[in-house]
Amino acid sequence: MATHNGGIVCLDPTSGPLERRDSRKFRERPPTLSGATVGLVINGIGKADAMMDALYEELRKEVELAGRVRVVKGSVSVPPDKPDWERLTKEATVAITGFGG
Amino acid sequence: MQIKAAQAHYDSYEAAVEAYMEKGWTDGLPVVPPTPDKVERFLAAAGLAPEAVLGTVPTREVTVTAEQVAINAVMAGCKPEYMPVVVAAARALLEEKANLHSTTGTLSGAAHAVIVNGPIRTELGIACRSGCFGPGFRPNATIGRALRLMVRNVARGIPGYLDRASFSTPMRYSLCFGENEEDSPWKPLHVERGFRPDESAVTVASIMYMTSSLDSGSRTPEGVLNSLAKRVRQTGVIGDKWLGDEVNVVLIMGPEHMRYFAEAGWSKERMRQYLFPRLTAEPREGPMNIKRPECILLVAAGGPGMAETWILHPHLGLAVTRRIEGARR
Repeated sequence: MATHNGGIVCLDPTSGPLERRDSRKFRERPPTLSGATVGLVINGIGKADAMMDALYEELRKEVELAGRVRVVKGSVSVPPDKPDWERLTKEATVAITGFGG
Repeated sequence: MQIKAAQAHYDSYEAAVEAYMEKGWTDGLPVVPPTPDKVERFLAAAGLAPEAVLGTVPTREVTVTAEQVAINAVMAGCKPEYMPVVVAAARALLEEKANLHSTTGTLSGAAHAVIVNGPIRTELGIACRSGCFGPGFRPNATIGRALRLMVRNVARGIPGYLDRASFSTPMRYSLCFGENEEDSPWKPLHVERGFRPDESAVTVASIMYMTSSLDSGSRTPEGVLNSLAKRVRQTGVIGDKWLGDEVNVVLIMGPEHMRYFAEAGWSKERMRQYLFPRLTAEPREGPMNIKRPECILLVAAGGPGMAETWILHPHLGLAVTRRIEGARR
């Protein structure tokens, strides 16, 4: 569409700005893991479960942990199932996850 | 027709092209500036209102509308009559198990193939013979590009943002071709997937790797398929619990291989029955998530010369086939 002064009017091809569109924020990091219940969110690729279990054992050597909530996803492509989300949000005080394979 | 997208004025065509480049709204190549009148023509060609919803990407909180897809199709260099194909491809990629989120965000830099079947191929001039994977054919180049621009601009698949590919792939610029139904002895892909021969349809398949089974020595269907099975197994076919038992692999056979099957009267079904146990036999060299012979999708394409069949090893998305609505018969 040419304008009367020889310019051109064009349309924005995006679904909006990339900035977050709501007020959600990351929870603050706790100062220590001592006494924490650690959520382990395992994406299911390769030996992710063994790696996360080993990571938990390493943490346990350094600090006293209250326990763990172990969640194995059905795919890297999807969030945890609803019951697993509920276990994580109710029982875990911190969570560790990873991405990739 | 009420277009909702924000409008901006530019001093010239060239200024608009440069501005879109600077805003990060392109694939690195110049685009056609999407003016409201062009976008309206594209929507009319697909028979869609601007606000028509083509699908969603829940993990990205994105709803994809016909207007957004039309804007990106104009930018890609499509003609208005390509729009029904672009719309069908977008709808296919936005289906849940096509898994747009993972296939466009993955570290592995997966791509997608857009495979067109039915009468619309010849009406639009979609290449399906020599050179069909490469440059030189406007509908192939721009339909595939339109889908990728939609992924980038609407679904936020931007390198370094939600596209986390370590290397990515040139297939992400565009990969679209037709099945060579006229020279094939077989049922076309879309007919095998439940559509009529006189309907047009598009299949969108994810690609983790694209490899070639080059075999100029075999002279029998069994020989060609043995080589092909070996090559598929070398790289493998990934899958997971969420995708389930419908994971597929797409095999694109050129005429130098296809003729042995035509001469011997092999159907695609017979080929699948022969291939399946050879793909899944133990011990396996790599992952093999093909659960049924029907999950092996066979397509005729390419030109004479090289005795090869190309393999689309999938990423974590199923191949989805959608009817091209509003396509001329």
